[in-house]
Amino acid sequence: MAVTTVSGDQRARSVAEPVKRRTSGGRRTRSALLFLTPFALVFAAMMLAPIGYALYQSFFRVERSGLGLDPPTNVFAGFGNYLAALRDSAFTTSLLRVLLIGVVQVPVMLGLALLLALLLDSRVAVFKRTFRLIYFLPYALPGVIAAIMWSFLYQPGISPFTSALGHLGLGKVNLLSGNLVLASIGNMMTWGYTGFNMLILYSALQAIPREVIEAAVMDGCGGWRVAWHVKIPTVRPALILTAVFSIIGTAQLYNDPQILHQVAPAITSSYTPIMAAQQSAATNNYNYAATQSIILALLTFVMSFGFLKFTQRKEAQT
Amino acid sequence: MTVEFWGSAVGYDKTVALFNKTHKDIKIKYTQVPAGSAGGYSKMLNAVKAGNAPCLGQVGYDTLPSFAASGAVEDISQYAGSSKDKFVPWAWQMSSLGGKVLGVPIDLGPEAMFYRADLFKKYKIKPPTTWNEFAAAAEKAHAASPDTYLTTLPQDAYDLGALTWQAGGKWFGTANDRWQVTIDSPATQKVARYWQGLLDKKQVLSEPTFDTAWYKDIQDGHVLSYIGAVWAAPLIEQNAPGAAGKWSVAPLPQWTAGQQASGNRGGSATVVLKGCKNARQATEAALWMSTNADGVTSLIKNTGIYPAATSGQELPAVNQPSKYFGGQNIYQVFKAAAAHTTANWVWGPTMTQVQPDFKDGLKQVGAGQGTIPKLVGSVQANTVKAMKSQGLGVSG
Repeated sequence: MAVTTVSGDQRARSVAEPVKRRTSGGRRTRSALLFLTPFALVFAAMMLAPIGYALYQSFFRVERSGLGLDPPTNVFAGFGNYLAALRDSAFTTSLLRVLLIGVVQVPVMLGLALLLALLLDSRVAVFKRTFRLIYFLPYALPGVIAAIMWSFLYQPGISPFTSALGHLGLGKVNLLSGNLVLASIGNMMTWGYTGFNMLILYSALQAIPREVIEAAVMDGCGGWRVAWHVKIPTVRPALILTAVFSIIGTAQLYNDPQILHQVAPAITSSYTPIMAAQQSAATNNYNYAATQSIILALLTFVMSFGFLKFTQRKEAQT
Repeated sequence: MTVEFWGSAVGYDKTVALFNKTHKDIKIKYTQVPAGSAGGYSKMLNAVKAGNAPCLGQVGYDTLPSFAASGAVEDISQYAGSSKDKFVPWAWQMSSLGGKVLGVPIDLGPEAMFYRADLFKKYKIKPPTTWNEFAAAAEKAHAASPDTYLTTLPQDAYDLGALTWQAGGKWFGTANDRWQVTIDSPATQKVARYWQGLLDKKQVLSEPTFDTAWYKDIQDGHVLSYIGAVWAAPLIEQNAPGAAGKWSVAPLPQWTAGQQASGNRGGSATVVLKGCKNARQATEAALWMSTNADGVTSLIKNTGIYPAATSGQELPAVNQPSKYFGGQNIYQVFKAAAAHTTANWVWGPTMTQVQPDFKDGLKQVGAGQGTIPKLVGSVQANTVKAMKSQGLGVSG
């Protein structure tokens, strides 16, 4: 009897408990849903729906006849637009171009940002707030304004760099010509975003418990060794985060080359993938523009997630 | 009744206000849209697709055929046809396609030669009347100082187009319900070879016009002339105030001495967009804006247009001496240029591809890659390809 009572008791409890959990859990889910709905609606309307529509559009093309004065018709094109995009050398070159800029510029910029963050974080740094603000200032400037400023600084006729290089006996260097313009664009991006990345890395550095650093110092570490053995490994997640942001940012490169386009001989109308898609939309070929956008989005997704997976696997190994 | 109107030129609202003041039964509701292919034009085309377009839209002559090829404009022959004689013939021609009237001309861009009269005198250069004399002047200007150039290389499709037009060529045509593409024609090649020759001798500067560096160069006397349209006058006046009183305007140099041929760069028409329920009233409003003396005067003063209506070209607002241009009545030159422009030019339906092709290509030619004659050939091939990919009938 006693046994059954206990077991009955247990049964009662074991039944009652999940029920209780379910109701409180249900309430939590419901309130969570309530809070998430506005975001989910806006996200669906502003992000998912346009992406879906672009995907849909990319499988069609417009047909006209004769002079084209009669209304055009939409016909299903299958993967026709995708094949055309992959055969379009101007478009594939633009993809390779941002890849090249990314491979060179992102490490340079993040290295610089890390260096600045470490300098700000070091014990001997003075006027920390002032310098933090100075490093961050370029990011606070609207991108287009900054690009216009740089276009003045680069134009041969009025550039202080060109005249300075001229005085050094290097002749008339045109920073907007040939492959120099790639470096010029890289410089604009580095100038604009180093401060932003520095701030993220600096916050991560601030979060390192001071005891850890003190312990390292007690063990005889100098400033550089603390940085190398303690600080950098600890801010690794922040570094990965900034790298992913930068990869996405580079793939979406538009402002800088678009503004320089007016004055730089080497920049064509489809210099970067977004410029190429814009150009297609301007020529009224929305289906092709949608295709180019989808390809760019896919590549950006693969690159940023690929990088994340790669670094995670490395982390697991160590 | 209200007619909606989307325009891109600044100051249009004042002419619309005049219209509304003088009309009781019909009003125009004006909306300012951004200029150019990535701005107002795509907005209009999208509105037509969505079925909520305004009745009237301001569209450049070069873009009108692509609007037509998108099925975005109404045929207004029956409402506007009788007004043909009020306009410069070639402006009317550029507002029509395949025998249909698709727009009412508003403004023009007749071309002439702007030059620094003071520096021409200083370097003992006589204003050239032929392209041969122009080449000699380019040599003389550059010989005077290595930093000095007579002019800049043509920048884009519209520069080259106007010069080809003057040389008697044309880039597009229509016949038997098909487009003809003749960009790579003897006339274009003549112009291309001429400018390539000047570039090869390094006697012209490759620099974007209407840019800070260019304004600096024309004020500092590094660039002595500009081959361009009437609408450049107020731009030069506002952006190069340092050269006030030093400029003059002369007719374009000629291929054959004694001729008076000119070309056109720019200008626009008012079109009735597809789906407009009051096409007749909308056309009437458009005709009023293009021809009414008060309305046109307001457009001249507030937007700086040069009228396409012949009556508009007689208005005092475009027939006055200008202090900036040394007291010259420069509009006499442009009026004559408009009168001596032939009515054979047709723009194609894919100018949004032709223009960047030429612009990118000419920049690269200026930087030493390729030549203009070769570029003309590749743009021709690209244009035919682009038109075919849009399903248009093409021969050429």
